[in-house]
Amino acid sequence: MSHSLNRTTCEEAFRRLDDFLDRRLPHAEMHLIEEHLEICAACAREFTFEASVLTGVRQKLRQLSVPPDLMARIAAQIRAAGEGGPTPESP
Amino acid sequence: MLEQPSPAARSASPAQPLCPPADFEPLFAAVAGTAFGIAMRLTRNQADAEDLVQEAALLAFRAFASFEPGTNFRAWFFKILTNCYFSKRRREKSRPVTSDLDDTPDLYLYARSAEAGFPTQGPDPAAQLLDRLGTERVVAAIARLPEEYRVVSTLYFMEDLSYEEIAEVLGCPIGTVRSRLHRGRKMLQKALWLVAEESGIVTRHAIGGAQ
Repeated sequence: MSHSLNRTTCEEAFRRLDDFLDRRLPHAEMHLIEEHLEICAACAREFTFEASVLTGVRQKLRQLSVPPDLMARIAAQIRAAGEGGPTPESP
Repeated sequence: MLEQPSPAARSASPAQPLCPPADFEPLFAAVAGTAFGIAMRLTRNQADAEDLVQEAALLAFRAFASFEPGTNFRAWFFKILTNCYFSKRRREKSRPVTSDLDDTPDLYLYARSAEAGFPTQGPDPAAQLLDRLGTERVVAAIARLPEEYRVVSTLYFMEDLSYEEIAEVLGCPIGTVRSRLHRGRKMLQKALWLVAEESGIVTRHAIGGAQ
């Protein structure tokens, strides 16, 4: 029952933080942590902060596009290799 | 109907085409953006990243007959990409591993943010600090991680690969992926804070608690 959660459960919840954020826990454990976060404001703040760091880093790292000439070079290289023609040797 | 040879038979005769070469380009095009992003994080500079993606693409194309249609192309390609990177690295002198991130305590960024007056509450509490840092500095922070953590973290952040897929790409056990990822996250938090300090986003002064 959620009202029986105590300090030990905070520690247990924290030990599962990464696995919880990555949804790596069995369904029942996911549910237990969710329940704990509903009643424990301190843990909820920490978990939300950690999730926010992961999301933010992910968003920042993905803001990068492929240089267009790289795609053109690769396409040319692959076509040459496919036709059995001369293929530029990799360095 | 074509009979599917067993994986063992396929590897024994790699010349037997399973995937028509023409199928390669669209599959590659779909993962190229992420592949380049990963290569940038691994090599830490654009020229090397371009070389790496180009080399991996050619290797993948030549090995395309061994790719089983309908299976996970991106994991297959990222495995070739990371293998390419590691074999290039072996040819170079390995850099000494920095260990100033080794002892990062839990919730490092949370504690530091609270001390420095950045938000620690709300729906997206780290957003303000990360936005102040911007993409370049976040990239610089991940570049500081020791290689084994940087590679796993890069695969994790750049693409929604599962632990299983990352393990497949790197050819290591899932437990290794999990432990490196968890430790890598802690290191990254300290690296982000160090970058924030060095760029003047936060002031560097000794506060009790987290080192």
